[in-house]
Amino acid sequence: MQYMLLIYEPADAYEGAAGQAQLKDIVAKHMALAGELRAKGVQTGGSGLQGVATATTVQTRNGQQAIHDGPFAETHEHLGGYYLIDVPDLDEALAIARRVPVCDGGKVEVRPLIVH
Amino acid sequence: MQALAAAIEAARPRVVAALAARFRDLDLAEDAFADASVAALSAWTQEPPRDPAAWLWRAAFRKALDAIRRRAVRDRTAFDTPEPEPTPEEALMAADAPIPDERLRLIFVCCHPAIAADVRAALTLKVVCGLTTERLARAFLVAEPAMLQRITRAKRKIAAAGVPFEIPGPAAWPDRLEAVLATLEIAYAQAYEDAALAGDAAAFAPEVLRLSGLLAELTPAEPEALGLAALVRFAEARRPARLDDTGAMVPPEAQDIGLWRHDLIDDGARLLDRAAGLRRSGPYQLMAAIHAVHAARRESGATAWSDIVALYEALLVVRPSPIAAVNRAVALGEAQGGEAGLAALAAIPEPARLAGWRPYQAARAGLLAKAGRPAEAAEALRAALALSPAPAERLFLERRLAQLTD
Repeated sequence: MQYMLLIYEPADAYEGAAGQAQLKDIVAKHMALAGELRAKGVQTGGSGLQGVATATTVQTRNGQQAIHDGPFAETHEHLGGYYLIDVPDLDEALAIARRVPVCDGGKVEVRPLIVH
Repeated sequence: MQALAAAIEAARPRVVAALAARFRDLDLAEDAFADASVAALSAWTQEPPRDPAAWLWRAAFRKALDAIRRRAVRDRTAFDTPEPEPTPEEALMAADAPIPDERLRLIFVCCHPAIAADVRAALTLKVVCGLTTERLARAFLVAEPAMLQRITRAKRKIAAAGVPFEIPGPAAWPDRLEAVLATLEIAYAQAYEDAALAGDAAAFAPEVLRLSGLLAELTPAEPEALGLAALVRFAEARRPARLDDTGAMVPPEAQDIGLWRHDLIDDGARLLDRAAGLRRSGPYQLMAAIHAVHAARRESGATAWSDIVALYEALLVVRPSPIAAVNRAVALGEAQGGEAGLAALAAIPEPARLAGWRPYQAARAGLLAKAGRPAEAAEALRAALALSPAPAERLFLERRLAQLTD
């Protein structure tokens, strides 16, 4: 089954000098995990995302489309990146989700893909 | 008729589990078993066949295949889907093989952490034990449509999210086993609260007794699984003595030993011994050990309160809770006198919140009476009575109050 692991972290997670140092450490861990998963043929996609300050949203309502600056919802937690993996079942997906590096307060949501 | 129904119920967990594991579909397994049960009631005119489970397994297997075939035909009209697996010939051969024991797998599926904790107990009692949605709704105090929706949603998630029909691997095992034990504990707590076992959770007690025994049998190297099975046995053993003739609650130390179920106490003691032999303590073993000390009064004639104090202290380290702290204070009061118990009670954090909590006021009343402070004890009893106790406890508290104010 294919799953997407969505990484949510607090908006201010990597602010300041200490935050930047932690970010460097976390990125290195992502590289290591992604390298391992790709070597095993488990990872089919994934990426980190630039900050929500770079987000632009296209909204459709009553047949009209409008373009807005910013993410779709102002929340304390931001989607920071994702992994796409192909594993036999939820337990395997959860085992990988546990290994996804996040800062304190971070969350990894595991969602199965719709298969056509 | 009753014998036939009993034979069907006895076969249910094993057959439903085998079907669910084979077809990886809880609804299909339950529906096929229900269809097979209907067929059984008309086919077994007088008495059940020699092996009812095998009969039901074969019949339900065919019903499940029929359902899959119907589904495939229906789906093919919309989409061009391939033949369903397994082919009918292969499957019929499989149905003639002995029923595989997949009950543990099924329990792990129903208690998966991906299912909300409060739904796991209902789902397990529904799928593994076959309790009706109506009964579960009444026991868990929700409307029947709401319970049906919870169970349906949980089953849908199990299928859609890819919850595996497998025994978890070593890395996930501790968490997953804990989820199973907690689920059985929640189910049993519903039954335990109803001392007379006259209410809606009445069916839970025998089912949790059976399920916890099954889990202990299937995971003999897990001391906490053995501990939970022991705990449920000790608690059930004392059920006939928990209420007196007037329906008032009777505390363990005052219960009539002659009313206890000694077979269950013996089973509990054996399970707890085996758990102790594995040398990994845990909360369920400690709670069972507290029951074991109460049960030991049948040999020694007296409750060893200092042992109970020590066990509560160990429990408070691994699983702190206000009720364990209050019970430790009560046991300390019995072992060392009312003032010692009151001092322990006073040392529990957050006294302001405890004041509005019935078990605290009831414990305080007992300790104050023991310490020779009847006026304060009566005041605490009145406070406890104002916090809506269940009828059995109300009678007990009222009698204590009458004794104090005589």
